[in-house]
Parts: sequence; C-alpha cells; structure tokens
Amino acid sequence: MAECIVVTSGKGGVGKTTTSANLATGLALAGNKVAVVDADIGLRNLDVILGLENRIVYDLVQVIEGECKLRQALIRDKRVEGLYLLPAAQTRDKTAVRPEDMRRLVKDLKDDGFDYIIIDCPAGIENGFKNSIAGADRAIIVTTPEVSAIRDADRIIGLVEAHELPEPELIINRYRKHLVARGDMMNKDDVLEILAIKLLGIVPDHQDIITSANRGLPIVFDEKSTVGQAYRRIVDRTMGIEVAFPNFEQDPGLWATMKRWMGIGPAREAV
Amino acid sequence: MRSLFQKLQDALGPARSSKDDAKQRLKFLLIHDQVELTPAQLDKMKEEILEVIGRYVQVDDDEQVEFKLNREEGGISLVSSVPVRKVHGARA
Repeated sequence: MAECIVVTSGKGGVGKTTTSANLATGLALAGNKVAVVDADIGLRNLDVILGLENRIVYDLVQVIEGECKLRQALIRDKRVEGLYLLPAAQTRDKTAVRPEDMRRLVKDLKDDGFDYIIIDCPAGIENGFKNSIAGADRAIIVTTPEVSAIRDADRIIGLVEAHELPEPELIINRYRKHLVARGDMMNKDDVLEILAIKLLGIVPDHQDIITSANRGLPIVFDEKSTVGQAYRRIVDRTMGIEVAFPNFEQDPGLWATMKRWMGIGPAREAV
Repeated sequence: MRSLFQKLQDALGPARSSKDDAKQRLKFLLIHDQVELTPAQLDKMKEEILEVIGRYVQVDDDEQVEFKLNREEGGISLVSSVPVRKVHGARA
C-alpha cells in the first residue's frame, strides 16, 4: 500500500533535507518507487542534496497551478531505479500552496503507482508545515541531541499528533558517541525519556555527510560508510523490517568503559 | 597546550556532566512551554495560593513549601506540598 511520510523537525538545520534525501534514495535502492517532494517553497535545497539541481524544468507550484503535468515536473534520478524528485519553486512563497493542494498531489502520486511519497517539510510551524503534513499518513521527526532541537521536536510531535498522525517516529541525528560517553551529550535514552516516541534510528555525526553533500550523492549509496549504514537501517525499519540497533548506538566508548573499571567514571550509562 | 593535570581533570569529568544540565533545562522548558506559564507566573500563583491556604491553616515553614509542575503521561500536574502547623478557625 502506498504511504506518504513527512520528514519534519520544527527547528531548522537539524538535517531534515539530508534525511529525506537518504530515506528516499534508500527506499528506491530497496526496490520501491519513490517520489520525494521538496515542500520548502522559496528555499529549494533538496535538489542540491540529491545532485539533481541542473535538471529542474518545472516545480511543485507549477504542478499545483496546472501549468504543467505532474509527470513533466518529476525528475527521474538516473543513478537509482524508481527515484523521482518533485522540486520546490524557488521564486514563490509558501502562500502559493494550500493543504488541499498537497492532499490532491499526494493522491495523484499514489494513483501513479508510487510506493512511498516522502515530503521534506520546511522548518517552522506555519503554512509550510501545515501543507507538508496535510497529505501525510506518517511522520518522521528529526532531532539532534540538543536542548533547542528537542524542545522544538516536542512541540512538533504535539502538532503532528493533533493532525491525526498518531505515531510519529524519531531519528536522532548528529549523534557524537565520544561526547555521549563522557557525558557531554544527551544519549539515546535521555532523548527518548523526554520525547517518549518510537525510535526509528540514530545517525552518527560524520564528515561523510559533508562530502556527500558536496558531491550531491546521498551517503546511503555508500555501503561502507557508517552513516550510509545507519540510513540503510532506517530505511529497513521504515519498511517495517526489524533491525537491531548496533554497537555504536548502544555501547559506551572504550574510554568510558576504562573509567568505569577504574571506578572513576559515572555509573554505567547506556550510550 | 593543556597541562597534564587539566587533561586528567577533563578525563575524570566534572562532578555533574553537561548533558545532565541540558536534560534538566529541557524538562523545565517543556513543562513551561506546555502549560504556557512562565516561572514568574508560577511564583505569583504560588504566593496567591499560599495566601488562601493561610486563611484557614498556619503554614509551618515557608522554606518547606513545594510547588512543582510534573510532566506525566496524559498531561501536566501541579504538585504541591505545604507543611501545616495548626488549624485555626476550624469548623465546629
């Protein structure tokens, strides 16, 4: 059954677009037909993260206003079978789209045979957010282990639940296990205790994210990268496959373990 | 360059790690976000409630009075603990 998933966070800069790009690419790599929609009208970014910026002809607003057909605006990613991008308009503002437009768009994409529709939601809780969740069946919340990002995530979870999307799932992004091990970053359990929603995955903070963005090649393509592997597990869990959380997502670092042996570290702490 | 002592201190960590600060601040923030009540308003409410309570009973020790917003499943609750010394003007 086709499913529309909105990727949202409230706060800007926590990795929504990178998450959307990798999730969509990963779902396509797993054999699904995927449309990824950039809902950040006026601040187009997803095309660049996907490396498809030179191929844009039409955009989301032109589809909604009937200036072009949906199929004309969808950009097919030549690197992976089944991945299509619907870019945002760069020259318009968020008032150009209404929630009912998004609902119709999502329905049209489902009728076109897409298995997954990923909506990359803009930051904030205004129109762009309301449009993004309008057609969604499911919500993924992206946060980082920081006070400001988690505060906004909490707010967004409340809004998502109020929109009859009852079980939002969480991705903790930019996880730095060394900081976690020495108690300078909230760990997975700290974040889950506060937000109290289902964990979909943890993505380590790594330079691979920067180099992949430089190249416009989502890191999920790279099977050797720990970040790419983290996204592949997220993709599997998104499809309903149970995947264990591996060591880096659970075990304390070597140094923390040594400190515990010597009895000088904090009490055992799940990392 | 950091001295060996400083490095050791870093390694041992401070008495309280910064993530605990983060977590405590966050919990406090979220509760106040949710009830849309600033800490100053909470203080004022506490004063007014104590004033009303004071009309019926004598509050034992102001320092011991507790007023807390707790976040639990299903919502926020206001929990207070007020030690009382003696009841005056009790109903006959």
